[in-house]
Amino acid sequence: MEELKQKLKVQIIEALNLQDTRPEDIDDNAPLFGDGLGLDSIDSLELMVLLERYYQIKVEDPREGRKILQSVQSMAEFIQSKQPA
Amino acid sequence: MKGKCYIQGMAAISPQHTFDGDLLSQPMAVTQGNMLSCVEPDYRAFIAPNSLRRMTRVLKMGLAASLKCLQDAAVAVPGAIVTGTGKGSLQDTERFIKEIRDFEERALNPTPFIQSTYNAVNGLIALQQKCTQYNNTFVHRGFSFEHALLDSMLLLSEGKPDVLAGAFDEITTEHFFIKGRIGHWKKETISSDTLYEHVSPGTISGEGAAFFLLTQEATAQSYAQLSGLQMLYKPSPEKLQHALGQFLTQHGVQPEDIDLVLSGANADSNHQHYYDVLNSYALGTQLPFKHLCGDYETAAAFALWLGASFLKQQQVPLQWFPMLKEQPRSLRNILIYNHFFGEQHSFMLLQKVDQTVSIKG
Repeated sequence: MEELKQKLKVQIIEALNLQDTRPEDIDDNAPLFGDGLGLDSIDSLELMVLLERYYQIKVEDPREGRKILQSVQSMAEFIQSKQPA
Repeated sequence: MKGKCYIQGMAAISPQHTFDGDLLSQPMAVTQGNMLSCVEPDYRAFIAPNSLRRMTRVLKMGLAASLKCLQDAAVAVPGAIVTGTGKGSLQDTERFIKEIRDFEERALNPTPFIQSTYNAVNGLIALQQKCTQYNNTFVHRGFSFEHALLDSMLLLSEGKPDVLAGAFDEITTEHFFIKGRIGHWKKETISSDTLYEHVSPGTISGEGAAFFLLTQEATAQSYAQLSGLQMLYKPSPEKLQHALGQFLTQHGVQPEDIDLVLSGANADSNHQHYYDVLNSYALGTQLPFKHLCGDYETAAAFALWLGASFLKQQQVPLQWFPMLKEQPRSLRNILIYNHFFGEQHSFMLLQKVDQTVSIKG
């Protein structure tokens, strides 16, 4: 799980071009939108694309997306739940 | 066209140091190679970091130039935003197309698609300035900027108090290669300051963003009056010669009244003969400008910026024009003639703001 979260942080920084942010600056549980990283609705679409590209997971329901993209922790948990045991 | 059109504020990002500082003291930037790239400013002074991270080069160039132009004119919300671009954001277009290929038309990022649309810069300006007025982008190859200008002049004549007009284009390595295959660029690699010594097929490529705040009335701060604009599509040299004479007559100017001609001559032997038409009139000094900005669809916007700067300062930066040995005796009327690879031709007449007319402010 730790390895996955670390990888996710690197992928988020790259996908969203967060120039002055390092992986260690992102708290696992901090909200990605609003107060945390300050991401917006276009970023949420970019994160959906990230899940599809790197983890072959397609999020169809926007309400589900809101829960999944809450934090790095929630994204990692979701990815892990979708991976074959 | 009834009504007048004055340049009240302006800003340009180009391969020269045009964005910051005094034009007359900036050295000429010389590029070794046939692809001129812009000298880019620090965008953080104009664009919030959170927005900046998503923007590609031409969007940053266009937005920063437009915001500086508005600042220069002390106008926050213009009466309209009208721009022209030949290619829009090439970086975004290329990225989007590559991703279609790499990801087999699935999982495509929205950002390069959104930003690859030609009107993305206009949208960004409108959002940033909270401007809900008329907003239009013209994409007409070598007439893109000229059509934006014509639309702006029509808007002013219909009563808009001011209009933000501009142009932006960029070049990428990939696009340079593609256009090279159809003979747009010289085969020999040259230094931009020696462009006119290399008359051969093709020219050098360039890019830039230039914005102008146009108003109906002059103030003491006005740069120049844009008195005339004419476009000609694929004219013969004879028709071009006739049209130039008519253009000057229509605006009450004799050839000998033209103090300076800014010509788009670019050492391309395929289309040089059009520029030779200028020699059939007793016009003032002819100065080519493409060694400064390269050639691209909206290069005339750079020429307009140059001409308006000269009229306001009543000087030409001699270090940028080594072919000019001394300052012109007077600078009241400047003619700009440019064409894009022999197809889209345009004349613009720029005049010094007459101090005898009533000036506001």
